[in-house]
Amino acid sequence: MLETNTAQADRAAYADTAFSNGYEFTQGTGYVLPEYPFVAPPELASGEVRRYPIVIVGGGITGLSLACALAQLGVQALLLDEDNTVGVKGASSRGICYAQKTLEIFKRLGVYPRIARKGVQWSVGRTFAGSDEVYSFDLRQQQTHSLSEEPPFINIQQFYIEGFLVEQIQALNAARPCIDIRWNNRITGFEQNGELATLSITTPAGDYRLQAEHVIDCTGSRSPFRAWCKAPVTAKKGDDRWCIADVRFKDHPPVERHTWIEAPFNENRAVWQHLMADGVWRIDYQMAPNCDPEQVSREDVVRARLNAQFGRELADGECDIVWVGPYAYRSECLDELRHGRVFFVGDSAHVVSPFGARGGNSGVQDADNLAWKLAAVVQGRAGPALLDSYNQERHEAAQHNVLVTNRTARFLRPADGAERLFRTAALGLAKQHPFARQLVNTGRMSSPNTYSRSLVCDKTGGTATQNVSFRWADGQPGELIDLLCWADGRLLLLVFGELAPGVAKRLQTLTAQTGICCVQVAAPRQMPQALEHVVDHGGRLQATCGAEATGWTLIRPDSYVACRGGRIDGRLVRAISRALGLEGIAP
Amino acid sequence: MKSALNFQDADAFYECLLDAHQGLEREQSELLNARLILVLANQLGDTALLKSCIAAARAGTPG
Repeated sequence: MLETNTAQADRAAYADTAFSNGYEFTQGTGYVLPEYPFVAPPELASGEVRRYPIVIVGGGITGLSLACALAQLGVQALLLDEDNTVGVKGASSRGICYAQKTLEIFKRLGVYPRIARKGVQWSVGRTFAGSDEVYSFDLRQQQTHSLSEEPPFINIQQFYIEGFLVEQIQALNAARPCIDIRWNNRITGFEQNGELATLSITTPAGDYRLQAEHVIDCTGSRSPFRAWCKAPVTAKKGDDRWCIADVRFKDHPPVERHTWIEAPFNENRAVWQHLMADGVWRIDYQMAPNCDPEQVSREDVVRARLNAQFGRELADGECDIVWVGPYAYRSECLDELRHGRVFFVGDSAHVVSPFGARGGNSGVQDADNLAWKLAAVVQGRAGPALLDSYNQERHEAAQHNVLVTNRTARFLRPADGAERLFRTAALGLAKQHPFARQLVNTGRMSSPNTYSRSLVCDKTGGTATQNVSFRWADGQPGELIDLLCWADGRLLLLVFGELAPGVAKRLQTLTAQTGICCVQVAAPRQMPQALEHVVDHGGRLQATCGAEATGWTLIRPDSYVACRGGRIDGRLVRAISRALGLEGIAP
Repeated sequence: MKSALNFQDADAFYECLLDAHQGLEREQSELLNARLILVLANQLGDTALLKSCIAAARAGTPG
């Protein structure tokens, strides 16, 4: 029996999670999701209003990534989730496509091997107009993807990753208790002053309140914090309507991403065909703008579309419909991602149309950006100004994602008149002329954002590194992520080439004084002078850092470059302070 | 953007352009123009130059 607070005895039963994002018309057999037990929070018995340094609201992919990153860094946090599972009950499809940068983050968090085993790798995409192929790409041959140890993309249902993150947090907790995940804890009220936020929470066993020094809003696109903080939003709503069908095939289509701009089997509207784990394929159909969402999501209507696409009657055993849901694309971006004590992360901060998989991927990258900064500030290693750089960096990223996805949306649903005319022109030319293929925009795949406005990054920095391989001093293979994990939330200074006389000693003093980690990167056959050194046997470390043969690169725990330089001098010392929000960050 | 003359033979270009449109319906003509713009734009390539060309054309358009 649940514990009941007497003052709450007559309260209404804990309401089920409300559907959101138009999931109310979903159909299909669905997925079986894990369930986690509700444990009555200690505040219900004590009545005490406790104070927590960090409270994460929302246990989706963003909130769980953040919690897992904090657990790894040994930071205490509370995570509140409104239901008792990952995914959304009755609607467990959502994100499917995880980009290299995100996979690198998952590797650092320790969940990558499970994702790689469960998910599906792909790199080839093909685009069709009518029955002609107009464009294809192989991401493995593109330079930006060529250095990392991780593949360009892995496709997997979002709830699997969320489940892996929950279990990883539990495993980390077993070694060092850090994250208190409270299932079935829903926020009902919020207020804040300059120092603290106060949250009101309802649970199946009663209500309570708590205080938080930092609130991380990971509640998604229907965030209540937007209204509570009166956060201005720049939004654009299109009339483009789509219907998703997740389908399990007995004989599956090729392991490639296929997109049709004008699909003959869908009244010349667009169709997406993408794969994920368990032999399930996501097929997105563009619908007429005035379509009835309930009608287009009906199972028999979906089956008729599938039969048209595959050119024959598909029997029940040949394809199972796992999940169907309609939705409308929109783009929204908060003008500021921080409001007082509240940080908006993931969909609560920005919503984009799904082209290029920029939603879930940017949510995880938001979380990774904020996690080490929170850790450094609450552990007293960084200045409070570091937290403001979250908005500077991730707002720039969000704006870029909005720009890129809006361009795709415009190509896929051109206005009548000149917009459609130019699309017809581009498609016609693309069949004969390679240059025009670049105009055919079926989504520009998520890639790491560059931070040009960040006050904690130098103008030589703000760029992402890739997880490249090298050799440890003993010849064993290593990866940049190993170095970042070894640095454990501290800045990592890579010094390339042979060190001039006296420099090794100076570096020793510097690392002792600033608490950063320093590693010498030697070229093959070079004699290292520093105790900690690695061998850049393929030249990849130097390439991904953009470093000179004898220069240095200061890398943050999120694998971004803070600053690059040549000599070990005062500029490096200032770059370290600046990267931690300690000084030198006047605009 | 060049405002001064750059054509090797302006009259010949103009004639060639009109000839290409000969016998086309209005819609076909519009499509030809759109294709031509994309082909020519790729010859220029430079983002700032293309922007100023578009702005110059738009500035002389009523409405």
